[in-house]
Amino acid sequence: MKNYKLYIVLLFLTAGTILLFGSNLKEMKYLSQVEDKNQIKTQKYVQTKPAEAAGEMPKDHSKMEIDCKTCHYCEYPTINEPCLISCPRKDMVSVHHAADEGPEIVELDMIKGDYGVVVFSHKLHAEMSEMSGGCESCHHYNTTGPVLKCITCHEPNRIREDLSKPDLEAAYHRQCLSCHRQWSRETKCQACHINENSPDRAKAIQRIKNSKHPAVHEPEKIVYETIYDKGKLVTFYHDQHVNTYNLNCVSCHHDENCMRCHDVNLKKLRSDAMESQRKKVHKSFEDHHQACIKCHEKDDCGKCHRDRELQRFDHFTSTGFDLKPRHTNLKCTSCHKEAGNYKGLSKNCTSCHSNFAEGKFDHRRIGLELDEVHADLSCGDCHKNNNFANQPKCNDCHDDKYFPHDLPGKKISLVVKDNKVTKTVKKK
Amino acid sequence: MKNINRRNFLKFSSALTFASAGLTSNAKAAPNNILSPDRMGVLVDTTHCVGCRNCEWACKTSHGHDAGDIEKYHNREVFKEFRRPKDHSFTVVNEFENPKNELIPINVKYQCMHCDKPACVSACIVGAFQKNEMGQVTWDGGKCIGCRYCMVACPFQIPTFEYEKAIEPNINKCDFCFERTSKGGIPACVEICPVEALMFGPRTELIRVARQRIKRNPERYKNHIYGEKEVGGTSWMYLSSVDASQLKLPKHKDKTAPGVSESIQHGIFAYFVPPLALYAWLGGIMWISKRRKEIIQEVVEEEAK
Repeated sequence: MKNYKLYIVLLFLTAGTILLFGSNLKEMKYLSQVEDKNQIKTQKYVQTKPAEAAGEMPKDHSKMEIDCKTCHYCEYPTINEPCLISCPRKDMVSVHHAADEGPEIVELDMIKGDYGVVVFSHKLHAEMSEMSGGCESCHHYNTTGPVLKCITCHEPNRIREDLSKPDLEAAYHRQCLSCHRQWSRETKCQACHINENSPDRAKAIQRIKNSKHPAVHEPEKIVYETIYDKGKLVTFYHDQHVNTYNLNCVSCHHDENCMRCHDVNLKKLRSDAMESQRKKVHKSFEDHHQACIKCHEKDDCGKCHRDRELQRFDHFTSTGFDLKPRHTNLKCTSCHKEAGNYKGLSKNCTSCHSNFAEGKFDHRRIGLELDEVHADLSCGDCHKNNNFANQPKCNDCHDDKYFPHDLPGKKISLVVKDNKVTKTVKKK
Repeated sequence: MKNINRRNFLKFSSALTFASAGLTSNAKAAPNNILSPDRMGVLVDTTHCVGCRNCEWACKTSHGHDAGDIEKYHNREVFKEFRRPKDHSFTVVNEFENPKNELIPINVKYQCMHCDKPACVSACIVGAFQKNEMGQVTWDGGKCIGCRYCMVACPFQIPTFEYEKAIEPNINKCDFCFERTSKGGIPACVEICPVEALMFGPRTELIRVARQRIKRNPERYKNHIYGEKEVGGTSWMYLSSVDASQLKLPKHKDKTAPGVSESIQHGIFAYFVPPLALYAWLGGIMWISKRRKEIIQEVVEEEAK
């Protein structure tokens, strides 16, 4: 009978354990929440009206060369019901303006914060963007009409209904910081914000207003070392492409990254000591050739890929036709009319100069003034078959005269000035 | 206290047990899940975070901790070490190398994820933790007994303990700025974020926005919203350009964290049958062994006679 007490204790303990751990826990939890439930009920998500548009579309924008469906989702949008597709839209609409067209300075003061306004050098950034993403790198999803202010689409309130696009503060910061934090690795507010109470405020604003992008160093020649065994070296004469072939910067540099020059750590990273920390960026075949292919599409690999450094292009050594002195300042396309084709022109003057005909050509233009006797001859008498590229023959009339030892007149020197040839007579 | 003998103690404890049993049967009328379908959340877009750590400052300030000068938070030296939330810093930002662009490191903010099915709530034996209707997981100091089960249970190792305090130490963790968010406001960290890398809104809307971002920019984002389904869903969710595990966000399956432990617990105690059976079995063994001893004793006594 002594044991019976022990069994009762055991039974009670069992029941207690079951109730406490089994279900009591969970129920207690909800019990405590019920108490607070009334308090939570007052909580509501605050909704705000979307910001009013800062810019208006021009009235005749329906005539613009753009599909209405890019911005409107209905067939006949009206002023009251424009049925605009909310940004960010599926299709990109972009603006293209010259850097001068925009404002020089924009003061970003829409948001009142502790750090003061940002004086943004718009023109400077616009100029730089010409070599990079262009206007739309900031003014994305813009309409074809006026350039819209950021606030037109980005609401100034953080608590808002439409969360698909960032609010105004975030839109500003994301645009600026996406580049700026890359080269400085910093998030210092004072880098852009100028405090209203700062004693150097006026000076800082003036500095931003006067700021210009420093002149970019143009390389003369770059020799690329490729991975190929045959044709390892590609020699690129930068100055010649700019000056001789008249390529403007944007025709190659349209997708530049600011970081190519602006990264403060890049130099350190490129040093040999940092080799192990450096990651090689693998460019595809297309990416490597993209800059050149636009003009050199029809050329063979061997045109650029050589085993040794390529000499600078010279018209005489490559073709045998010397451009000096009268053809030096001409654009390539003045003679090579067919786009992309620089072959097939004859050295014969008349192949281009159709007006160099019998009796019309002033022989002084080539620097030789014919004497009276020779001036009356027809062209073919000296230039066999009217081929002016070959040397003239004197032996039809003279037995002992040879060109250029003997001349059928006198030499005159030519002065090339402002693309025009002036002659000064000079006695031999 | 002299009256408390063994018999009285048993009487008292049994009464207590039945009383608590009665209490639980009343509580069964409470809803099983009071989460609102419009509950709020935060979408952390790690591709936008610039690592300014303003959120750390705002968090400390709004919770009355010593925050110091905000400018000091812009010092990036701290990123050399991986940090975890502490008793007086409910949120921390860490930095990781970006395999896609070495010039832009990836910064990730850590704080309580505010699970839809929180393990801390399940593990707390006194109900000090609760999951609120609008998503916040909060802690009640008045109920806490300091057992720190929540710290062990949390799948993200978030709750921290004030070890320095000998008297009344608190369990500390992000409370989703309950003071603000319960009155329609936004969390302090979200409010201060300069790039809105933290976006506050209804959880369903955030998931929609996150999907839209991934769809529009598949090169920028991994096709995964961390926290959408992990441990049964969390109020805070992450978008990133690399795999979440590379950002030291623990890898979890869709199963809720308390789901496993609760099912074991509930299984063990289902309808009292398993424990009763166990105790009956033990009692049986005891009785048999006792009986055997008695028989041996009797036999010995008989032999002695």
